[in-house]
Amino acid sequence: MVKGPGRFGFVALLLWASSLVMPPALAAEATLDRGALATALCGDGAAQAKAVEGVLRNSAEATSGDLAWAGTILRALLDRRLACLGESALVLDRAGATDGRDAATGTARPVTGGRSPVLGLRQRALIETASGAASLLTGADVELRRAGLAALERRIATVPEALLLRAASAESDPGLRAGLAAIAQSAALSSVDPARRLAAIRAVSEAPSGAAFSRLSALKADAAYGSDPAFRSALDAALARVERAVSIGNGLAVLYNGLSFASILFMAAAGLAIIFGLMGVINLAQGEFIMIGAYATYGVQEAVRRIAPGWLDAYLLAAIPVAFLTSALVGIAIEALILRHLYRRPLMSLLATWAVSLFLINGVRVAVGSQNLQFAMPPYVSGGVPLYADFVVTWNRLFAIAFAAVTLVLTLVILKRTPLGLDIRAVTQNRDMAACLGIRTRRVDRLAFGFGSGLAGLAGVALCPIYSVNPGMGANFVIDSFMVVVLGGVGTVVGTLVAALGIGGANVLIEPLYGAVAAKVIVLAGIILFLQRRPEGLFAVRRRR
Amino acid sequence: MVEFTRRSFLGTAATLSAPAIIRPAWAADTVKLGCLFSSSGTMANIEGRLNHVVRMAADGINAKGGVNGRRLEVVTSDPASDWPLYAQIGRQMLQQEKVAALFGCWTSVSRKSVLPVVEQNDGLLFYPLHFEGDENSKNIVYVNSPPASSVLPAVDYLMGAEGVGAKRFFMIGSDYVWPRTINKQLKAYWTSKGVPETAWREEYVPLGFSNFQTLVNQIRSFAAQPGGQPIVVLTVVGSSIPDFLREFANQGIRATDVPILGLDMVEADLEGLDTAPLVGHLNCWAYLQAAKAEANTTFLSEWAAYVKAKGVPFSADTVIDPMVSAYDSVQLWALAAAKAGSFDVPEVRKAFPGLSFADPSGYTLTMGSENNYVARGVFIGSVNEKQGFDILWQSPDAPKPVPFSPYG
Repeated sequence: MVKGPGRFGFVALLLWASSLVMPPALAAEATLDRGALATALCGDGAAQAKAVEGVLRNSAEATSGDLAWAGTILRALLDRRLACLGESALVLDRAGATDGRDAATGTARPVTGGRSPVLGLRQRALIETASGAASLLTGADVELRRAGLAALERRIATVPEALLLRAASAESDPGLRAGLAAIAQSAALSSVDPARRLAAIRAVSEAPSGAAFSRLSALKADAAYGSDPAFRSALDAALARVERAVSIGNGLAVLYNGLSFASILFMAAAGLAIIFGLMGVINLAQGEFIMIGAYATYGVQEAVRRIAPGWLDAYLLAAIPVAFLTSALVGIAIEALILRHLYRRPLMSLLATWAVSLFLINGVRVAVGSQNLQFAMPPYVSGGVPLYADFVVTWNRLFAIAFAAVTLVLTLVILKRTPLGLDIRAVTQNRDMAACLGIRTRRVDRLAFGFGSGLAGLAGVALCPIYSVNPGMGANFVIDSFMVVVLGGVGTVVGTLVAALGIGGANVLIEPLYGAVAAKVIVLAGIILFLQRRPEGLFAVRRRR
Repeated sequence: MVEFTRRSFLGTAATLSAPAIIRPAWAADTVKLGCLFSSSGTMANIEGRLNHVVRMAADGINAKGGVNGRRLEVVTSDPASDWPLYAQIGRQMLQQEKVAALFGCWTSVSRKSVLPVVEQNDGLLFYPLHFEGDENSKNIVYVNSPPASSVLPAVDYLMGAEGVGAKRFFMIGSDYVWPRTINKQLKAYWTSKGVPETAWREEYVPLGFSNFQTLVNQIRSFAAQPGGQPIVVLTVVGSSIPDFLREFANQGIRATDVPILGLDMVEADLEGLDTAPLVGHLNCWAYLQAAKAEANTTFLSEWAAYVKAKGVPFSADTVIDPMVSAYDSVQLWALAAAKAGSFDVPEVRKAFPGLSFADPSGYTLTMGSENNYVARGVFIGSVNEKQGFDILWQSPDAPKPVPFSPYG
C-alpha cells in the first residue's frame, strides 16, 4: 500500500518523469499574451473557448503572475464583471460599476458603452476549470486552493496531468497535497505503465460513485483485461467494491428521502391530529395555517433584515415562536368567531373551514400578492454535502427532519406531562364525562385548536427552505395530512408519526420503480384497502361517546 | 359602518370563493373582452399576472380612442387552475357576457377544455403560450410558438458544438398533454438524428408535485452513466418548477455538469430562489425581458407604472413572455377588429391574414393566410445571478410557424 509520505515520494517521481516527456513546444509558449487573451474573451464563443483552452493547456508552465492575472479576468467574466469596450476589456469591482481597470494595462477607465459578454455553457465549463486551475496554483489561502481543486475535479478529464503535478509539488498543506496525489493517481487510468494503472484503479475505487463505476467499467473493453490477470483481478475487485458502496449509498439515500418526506407529512399533519382528534372538526383550513406560519417567517426575516442585519442568518430560529403564536392566534380567533357555533354540526364546520381557507388565501393574495416570497437562505439550510458514494445530505431537508423530531418531542411532552395535555386527553376520550368532572371543555377546545394551528405554523417555518411560499401553498398539504391522520388513527400523535413514516417511505420506495404518478395512486389505494380492514386506523384511541 | 355579523362574514367568504365572473359591465358603448387566467391554484403565481396585462393593454387602446369608436371593457375571472372550470367560465363569458374575444389559458389541458366551447359558440380564444402544436382551430389564435420554432432550435443548440454537444436526455414533466406531446415529438426528432433509445429517460410527476428528491437522485445516477453529455428537458409546470430547481441546486448539480432546458421556465419562476447555483440553465421563448428593443423599454416602463398606479400584487420589474404575448394578443385583436370594422368573429377572422405588429421582443409579428398561427422570433436564455435570463442566442428573424410537427 502506498500511504502517507510514500505517496508524496511517488508524486515527486511522477513530476520528474513528466518533466522528461514534456514537449518542448509547450514550454516555449509559457508567457501569456495578456492583450490577446482579453480581446479573445470579448470575442464570440469560439474565440473564448480557444483562448481559455490555451490558458488551461499552458497552466503548468505559465508564470504565477500570468496565472493570477488570468484567474482574475476569468472570474470577472464568470461574475459578469468584465466589460468589453471595443478591443479592450475592463475588470469591474462589482457588476454594474461605472468604472473599472483595463485588464491588460491596469489603468482605470470609465465603462460607458461597454457590454458584458454572456457565456455559453461550453465556455462557462472551460472558464470554471481554467479559473480553478489558476486558484489552485496561485490561491493565497488553502480554502481558495481547495475550491480550485474542486472545480478541476468536476472535469478532471480535461485537466493536463502536468498541472496537477506542479500543484502537488508547490502545495504546502498536507491534506490538499494528499487530495492532489489521489487525483493525479486516478487520472492515470489509461497510462501505459501497468503499475500506475493499478494504482489508478485503486485510487478511483477509494472514492466510489456512479461516475467512478462508469470510468472503471470502461476499462473492461481494454486489451489488458483479457491478457493481464493482475489487471483483471484488480479491476474486478475495484468494480465490486464501488458497486457495493454505490448500492449502500443509494440505500441511505432512500432512507433519507423517506425520512425527510415523512417529516414534512408529520409536520403538516400533527396539528390536524389534535384538532380532528379532539373536536372532530374536519379542518380544511389547516394548510392555510401552514401558509400563515410561512408568511410570519417572512415577516420575521424582513424585521431582522431591518433591525439587525448582522443576525439575518438566525431569522429561521427567531421565527419559530412568532410563527407558532401567529398561527395559534389566527386559529383561536377562527374558533371563537365561527367554529364554536358549529361543534355539533360536522358538515357545517367542514364547509365553514373551507370558506375560511379560501378567505385566508385570498386575503393574503390581496394583502401581499401571489408571487413566491423571497427568502434569504442561511448556510445551514442551503446546499448539501456528499456523505458516502452518491448519497448527498441536503441541509434544508435535514433541518426539516430535526425540526419535526423536536416538534414531536414537545407535542408528546405537552400532551402527556402538562395539565393542559391531561385536559385535552380527557376531552378527547369522553367529552361529556370530562365536562361533568369540571373540565371547562370550551376553554380546552379553544386552547387545543390554538395549539393545533400553532403546530401547523411551525410546519410553515420548516417548509420555507424546501418549498415555494405563496398564498396557495397550503392547498398541497391538506389531502396528504388527512391521509396521514386517518391512517394513523384519529387523535394519536404516535399514530400520526407512524402513518407519516409509512406513507413517506412507501412513496419514496415506489417512485423509482413506477414513477411519481403511480406512487401516489398505489399509496392511496393501499390506504383505502387498509381502512376497509381497520376503519379506526393504525392506533385507535379508546373512547366512549 | 357595515355591521359585521357572522352571516355576512360567511357571505363574504363565499363570494370570494365563488368562481363567478368579477366586474360585469353595463355601458352600451363598450365592447367586452374576457380573460381566462387563474389567480388561485398551482398556476396562480404566473397566470395571475396575465389578467393585469390584458387590462393594461385595453387601457392603452382606450386612451387612444378605443376600437371602432367603442371602449374596451375587460372581464376577468378565476378558473382556479381547475381545467374543466376554464370551459365552464369560457361558455358563460361567450353566452352571457357576450365577450368579443377571450384571452386565456396557460396549460394546454386548459386550452383543450376550452376548445369545444369556442368552436360551438364560434368565439375567439387568443392563446399566449408556446405549446405542443398539432392543433389548428379557426376559433383559436395561437399567439406563441409551436415546437418547431421554440423547442427544436433550443434542443439543436444544446446538441451542437456551440452548446454542450448533448448526447443523453432526461425528460421530466408534469403528467398532462403538453409535456407528453413535446416529449413524444422530441423522441421522434432524436430518432431521426440517430440518437439511440437507450440515450433518454422519461419521467412524469402529478401537477403541483413538489417532492423532487428521488427524481434528482435519479438524474444524478443517469448523469454518472457513460455515453456522453446528459441534459435535463424540464416540462414540469407551475409551482413545481422552483421546487425542482431548488432541489437540483441543493444536491450540488451545476449547469456545467447537467444543464436544464426549462421549457416552461420564466423569470417569475426564479423569484424567491437563490439563483447563484443555477446560473447557466436554459429556457427558450419568443420573448425575454432582456430583449433589446425600443418597444421593450416602453413595455417595461408601462408595466412598472401600471403596477404602481393600480397596486397590482405582482413584481413591477418582472416581465415574462406570456405577459408580452397576452399584450400582443389584445393588440392583434384590436388591429383585426379595426381592419374589419366590426366585432363579429367571422369578420375579425377574415382580417387576420397580413396583420403585423412590432412587439416588445423586437421582432415583427405577422399572421399568414394558411392558419391562425403567429410568426415569432426565438430566444434562448441563460439563468443569471439576478433571477433573470441573459440572452444566449436569438434567431435572425421570425421563422414561419409549422403547426403540425413532422416528428411524432
